[in-house]
Amino acid sequence: MTGDEIWGVVKILLKYLLPTLKVFGFTLLYSVPLGMIVALLKMCRFKPIKWLTSLYILIMRGTPLMLQVIVAYFAVPMLKRSEGMPQLVQSLLDTVDIQADSYLFNTVLVAFVLNYAAYFAEIFRGGIESIPKGQYEAAAALGFSKRQTFFRIILPQVVKRVVPASSNEVITLVKDTSLANVVAYAEITMKAKQQMQNYSSLTPLFIAGLFYFVLATVLTVIFSFIEKKLDYYK
Amino acid sequence: MNNNALNKMKKLLAGVTAAMFMLTAAACGNNDSSNSGNNAGGSASSSAAGGDSTASGEDDSLQKVLDSGKFVLGLDASFKPMGYTDENDEIVGFDIDCAEEVCKRMGVTLETKGINWDTKEDTLDAGTIDCIWNGMSIDEKREERMNLSEPYMENSMVFVVPADSTAAAMADLADKTVAVQNGSTAQTLLEESEIGDSCKISPLATNVEALQQMDLGLVDAVYLDSVVAEYEIAEAGKDWKIFTDGSESEKYAIGFRKGDQALRDKVQEILSEMKADGTLAKISEKWFGKDVTIVK
Repeated sequence: MTGDEIWGVVKILLKYLLPTLKVFGFTLLYSVPLGMIVALLKMCRFKPIKWLTSLYILIMRGTPLMLQVIVAYFAVPMLKRSEGMPQLVQSLLDTVDIQADSYLFNTVLVAFVLNYAAYFAEIFRGGIESIPKGQYEAAAALGFSKRQTFFRIILPQVVKRVVPASSNEVITLVKDTSLANVVAYAEITMKAKQQMQNYSSLTPLFIAGLFYFVLATVLTVIFSFIEKKLDYYK
Repeated sequence: MNNNALNKMKKLLAGVTAAMFMLTAAACGNNDSSNSGNNAGGSASSSAAGGDSTASGEDDSLQKVLDSGKFVLGLDASFKPMGYTDENDEIVGFDIDCAEEVCKRMGVTLETKGINWDTKEDTLDAGTIDCIWNGMSIDEKREERMNLSEPYMENSMVFVVPADSTAAAMADLADKTVAVQNGSTAQTLLEESEIGDSCKISPLATNVEALQQMDLGLVDAVYLDSVVAEYEIAEAGKDWKIFTDGSESEKYAIGFRKGDQALRDKVQEILSEMKADGTLAKISEKWFGKDVTIVK
């Protein structure tokens, strides 16, 4: 490929950087809080809730994300076509417009959020459980309320401890966005593949790889900055 | 002890997420309402006609397309020269030019939608697209799952090897590695061919990857559409040779949903018109240098 052609591919991929970042950003936005909730549910003393949460995590971590994206995409149209749905479900299904452009993005997002929340939940649970019990007791002895104990003493330490493990997940997420192309969500990888066909060359794929590399480098720098900022006792 | 704190935390977080989900729901709701103008009529008529269809056997597929004013063509946009994405990120190709003309005569606009070729039948059934029109070869399984148009073009699957290869005929490829596009009819044909058992078949994601692997010496030959092979040799000046034997001829057709007879017939009728008045030949000459269409 000539320099001009490569530049042409770069320009196309730049245009589809936004859809890639959209999946990345919204997945983080929703999966981190959801992961926190799932972590707390998994530590719940009421056993059935704990079991259900464990099952959810097992399924999400135990099946490929690619498959989950496909399931999320085809679930609504398939349910729509099946007969004998309860009235409530049917009317809910009718509100979804599968022809709309937003439908594709929303289904991709649902799969990504549910998947990443499961991974984040386990990271957060590990973080919360790593805090020694003595700290709760000490806080109680000093007259801290339970809410104060959690937000002022436990949570700040948890945040510090989960950052390295979370950065792993976040960097993986940037690259996982490429899986959205199994339902033809137009993002960098899909466009690179199309240009690959157009030029009959593998070069567009390598250019896409460079895009992910740059994104991951930026995230690495951000996370090392965050870790340094959080390192206030050393 | 800490369970109480956790419980409060849970409530708080639950509140936050609930609020977030409501926001998303509201956002989606907005999207829906902006579309509901077109859809309310469509879905109402479809449910009404759906009731009719069982009674009188009529289908509203054509009417639905006319009502919505758009014909949604599904393709994986990577089959050169049938339908692919060009260097300006626009979807072009022989099929696209034909579909544009069909839509013009139907009085609707053409909308192209990218699909994953591996799940094309499900995507069609799901209703996100109206047809699959991307140099799709006719085979039994596809005939079972889709309502195919009459064939519009002939194609053959051929063996391609590097120009300096010692292999000159299909029999020479026994014990060699032959690459095919995964999920293509070439794969099925090769498996059933006489060398299907003796050669090693390497199913790859795309024809481009297969040809690239052949150039690098990873595979010995590629079995693919002659349309692609000839186009590559002519346009990109590749140093390949095509075997004269071992080719299987097949035909391309457009795939519609099983029930969508009216829409299929209308498109078929327009294609025949285009063949009769020479429009189809003109489009074919633009892409292939000659009229390769076989529409009646």
